[in-house]
Amino acid sequence: MSNAAKNPSIIRRSFRRTIFFIIAILAVGSTFEPYNQAQLAVVLIYFIGVLSVTILTGISGQISLGQGALMAVGGYTTALLMTNYSISLWIAVPASIIGAGIAGALLGIAAARLSGPYLAGTTLVIALAIPTIANRFMSVFKGDEGLPVDVGYPPSWFTNLFGEPTYEEWQLYVVLPFAAIALFFASNLLLSRTGRMWKSIRDHETAAALTGVNYSRQKIYVFIIASIFAGLAGALYGLRGLVGPSVYPVALSLTLLTAAVLGGIRSIFGAFIGTVIVVFLPDWIDLVLDNFELSEQVSNFMPALISSLLLILTVVINPAGVAGGHHHKHK
Amino acid sequence: MRNRASLSKPSRGLVASVAAVLAGAMAFTAVPAQGASTPGVSDTEIVLGMQLPQTGPASPGYNKVDDAMRAYFDYVNSKGGVHGRSIKLVVKDDAYRAGLTVSTASALINKDKVFAMVGSVGTQTHISVIKDINRRGIPDLFVNSGYSGFYTNPKKYPTTFGGLGTYTVEAKILGKYIKETFSKNTVGIVYQTDDFGRNTVEGLATAGVTFTPKKTAATFIAGTQAGGLDAQMQQLKDNNVDVVVVGAVASAFAAAVSSANKIGYKPAKWIVISVGADATTFQTILGARGIAPAVSAALLAGTISASHAPAPGEENDEFVKAFKKINDEFNKGPDKRWDNNVLQGMNIGYLMTSALLGTGKNLTRPGIISYVKNNAAKLSSAALSPLGYGAKTHEAYTGFWIGQYDATTTLKPVDSPRKVWTTDSAKGPVTELKYTRPAIAADALPKVG
Amino acid sequence: MDTFLAALFSGTSRGAIYALVALGLVIVWRGAGVVNFAQMGQAMFSTYIASTLIQNGNSYWVGFFVALFAGAALGALLDVLVMRPLSNKKKTELLSSESMRAAIPVIASLGILGVLQALAGIIWAAEERGFPAPAAQEGFTVAGSVMPFTSFDLFVISIVLITLTLTTIFFKRTGVGLAMRATALNQEVARLSGIRTNFTRTLSWAISGAASSLAGLLITPTSNLSPNTLDLVLIIGFTAAVVGGLDSPAGAVLGGFILGLVISFVTFYLSPEDVFISILAVLLIVLIVKPRGILGGKDSRRV
Repeated sequence: MSNAAKNPSIIRRSFRRTIFFIIAILAVGSTFEPYNQAQLAVVLIYFIGVLSVTILTGISGQISLGQGALMAVGGYTTALLMTNYSISLWIAVPASIIGAGIAGALLGIAAARLSGPYLAGTTLVIALAIPTIANRFMSVFKGDEGLPVDVGYPPSWFTNLFGEPTYEEWQLYVVLPFAAIALFFASNLLLSRTGRMWKSIRDHETAAALTGVNYSRQKIYVFIIASIFAGLAGALYGLRGLVGPSVYPVALSLTLLTAAVLGGIRSIFGAFIGTVIVVFLPDWIDLVLDNFELSEQVSNFMPALISSLLLILTVVINPAGVAGGHHHKHK
Repeated sequence: MRNRASLSKPSRGLVASVAAVLAGAMAFTAVPAQGASTPGVSDTEIVLGMQLPQTGPASPGYNKVDDAMRAYFDYVNSKGGVHGRSIKLVVKDDAYRAGLTVSTASALINKDKVFAMVGSVGTQTHISVIKDINRRGIPDLFVNSGYSGFYTNPKKYPTTFGGLGTYTVEAKILGKYIKETFSKNTVGIVYQTDDFGRNTVEGLATAGVTFTPKKTAATFIAGTQAGGLDAQMQQLKDNNVDVVVVGAVASAFAAAVSSANKIGYKPAKWIVISVGADATTFQTILGARGIAPAVSAALLAGTISASHAPAPGEENDEFVKAFKKINDEFNKGPDKRWDNNVLQGMNIGYLMTSALLGTGKNLTRPGIISYVKNNAAKLSSAALSPLGYGAKTHEAYTGFWIGQYDATTTLKPVDSPRKVWTTDSAKGPVTELKYTRPAIAADALPKVG
Repeated sequence: MDTFLAALFSGTSRGAIYALVALGLVIVWRGAGVVNFAQMGQAMFSTYIASTLIQNGNSYWVGFFVALFAGAALGALLDVLVMRPLSNKKKTELLSSESMRAAIPVIASLGILGVLQALAGIIWAAEERGFPAPAAQEGFTVAGSVMPFTSFDLFVISIVLITLTLTTIFFKRTGVGLAMRATALNQEVARLSGIRTNFTRTLSWAISGAASSLAGLLITPTSNLSPNTLDLVLIIGFTAAVVGGLDSPAGAVLGGFILGLVISFVTFYLSPEDVFISILAVLLIVLIVKPRGILGGKDSRRV
């Protein structure tokens, strides 16, 4: 991101984007019912995780089916700091990115030599293996029971200034600054020279190598950055109540990938739309299904059926995703 | 550099789009009208919430509990409901993923505005929401988990009450039996490495049952029993274990028996914790493998287990008779075959109805919590043990009887007449319980208050 | 010694099934350039069909062959309905990049998996059932002790070896097989030389579908059948294919046996809790030494 710093116009643009994002979320969030405020907090958490997929897969072209494992690393780092050392979440959550960054560096070193399905396979096994460590080192990670953590209560200066928020509102307010920072960095990164270099690696590995890009080292950098996003998302996801193996299953990694593709795997806006769809779709489907007399067996599986069908349709009709079609028009 | 152009789209476009997307999300979302002062209670209706895995790897068996509960509530509603209010049960599927449980709890609390949670299934999933539910003062009644951590510290979780005996209590009672009956045998255990399996091991150890670590204990990760338990059975066989305790779910017990059969391992005795000793699941799995019901019944025969309630096969038990009839008439679930899970669902429905009746016409959250806490003795059910609720603990059934499967897949008491044993989830002794279960009324409705 | 033999036998028979799963993945990867995550969803679906037939009084073999046929038909159908339209999108900007061409079909196959699991849940409920074996499930006696190796395991290993032989002959000796290899190497060149690439692609989906249905039929007697039980088998099978080399059918089989043995020996000698970490360790060691798997050559697709 050093070269972004040299270009003030990129920073200004990302900054404007972030401010608008914050205002939009606050404006819309304040009109929501508590349930939807909590859902909006989930959107923001997933959004950070989906950005890690956007950077890794969309921008640099590496498939990871194991971002959920890196989320677990971030979650456990935060939870261990909070429960064992009573560290405030405002320090513990940023600290989680160190844990996730280190994990990402190790993963990146292994992954630098791999591509396509070989990388997908490795990351998938990582998603499966990492949560089992919790049971292997019971005394530290507390096994399946996990480590309960939450966002707690707002500090008194906050309630004095803004009044007593509901628990859901407070969840939203805790998550929002992190999502905004993530958006700012992702936006900077994508606009910067580094981002363009990563895209060139994605599109033409050989050509990029010829132009003097140290291909393996860049791949490791991408992994570290993507892991930091995933770790941050994982820390915040754990703060919804529990950090434990059943919070970060393999399915979580696949959900992030689904959101990224639905929205458009190459754009930040796409990451956001995809996340909104993935989080709110089950509610919309329930709403529609309420009008029909379906047996429990059918209605139980309906959300999974419809969202999977939607995923297939998106990919077949417009692989570039919702935002992908959108930005073609602007070209 | 085409991508770059696409990314430098004006920021105002972005904010407008973000707002539009979110506004769209909101427009789709129904906002239920705020009712009376107590959420989920109107003059005509009481709304209850429940979370369980209805889909996914952990769902088999448990996905029948909610249907049985709803069947009982529908029966109550057909008789005029509770104090003129009908009971509505809203069930959310969390697929046994704790991240989802947080969301479905939020939906039940904020969207469906439930009065109370009842009969939620699962330990890990419930851990993720129990603190929030308690903080909000929402009654969290008759939880279908035997994890003692939820119940033994009522100061920490004042609104949570159990719906099963704890794994520890059951293991201690079985442990005493094992120690007395099989003192000359080598006892081994196969258990799933989660809270359930580990609490079972701890309970047995408290009762004085000894396993040489590693040598007579075989483990597996919950959910992986589908791959067979060959290695585990081989390990027990190599250590000459002749009494095998199974601390695992029913499909794992079936896998263990199949694997043992495969390697010609015939332990003298199988002892199965009640969670895993479901004859229907056992026979269904083996049946579909081409093993005739008579053969699987023979495999099950002689197996020792424990229960807090009558066995589903006790056709002459008045509760079993009444619940079975209601199940036949009112259960609209996809699989309503009568078994432990259905019996347990019916029982929770009965208990919940009792608690609502007992709290009275003026139904509030603190009201029902204090009623349940102080009137455990009045809340009878099919169980052969009273509820343990009180100031010091919110454990449900502290009594279990020990039985042995006969040739007709019915669990028959090992003592005649049946003896029920009781203990606590800590280090207390196991003693015999004298309890006379109140009869069920002719209309199968609780008569409380 | 007993334990060693037991672990060896147990690992070999499990390994045979992982080999079959890996083989199915390799066939579609070579034939269509797609890593098919829906594969065990297809297998689950056709095994349910077999199970339903058998429970309704048909013989095991009716269920067996109908399932193989259904697996092949489903595979072909998925290619025609989903994967072919997707590959026709190669001209779009997104799919012009190599990595996206690999990523997008993976995501489509995850969607297919979701659909199949949801449909199976709706049709057959989420209950767990067993599935019969065509041969005895009692272990043979070796040197006085009963081993976890049964007539059924022997049946499994034989079937897998026969399938492997047939596949090899098919790819090396038949015109269609050679055409499929050519398509795998370079679709454009194959098309220009008159090969009906659409047909060979669909055929590889069908063959893979049948092979994975076979795996489903062979693994469910020792596990149980529910919409999700084969998820783990897919992950292990995929790992086996990656370890052996995705481009090599022989590598897939080798990888399958390696994983079967690793899992078995770790379970017998260490602890089941170490299984996944051990799989990860094996995978990383192999890929660090040979990034394209043990028998995978240099990728002809690249550059």
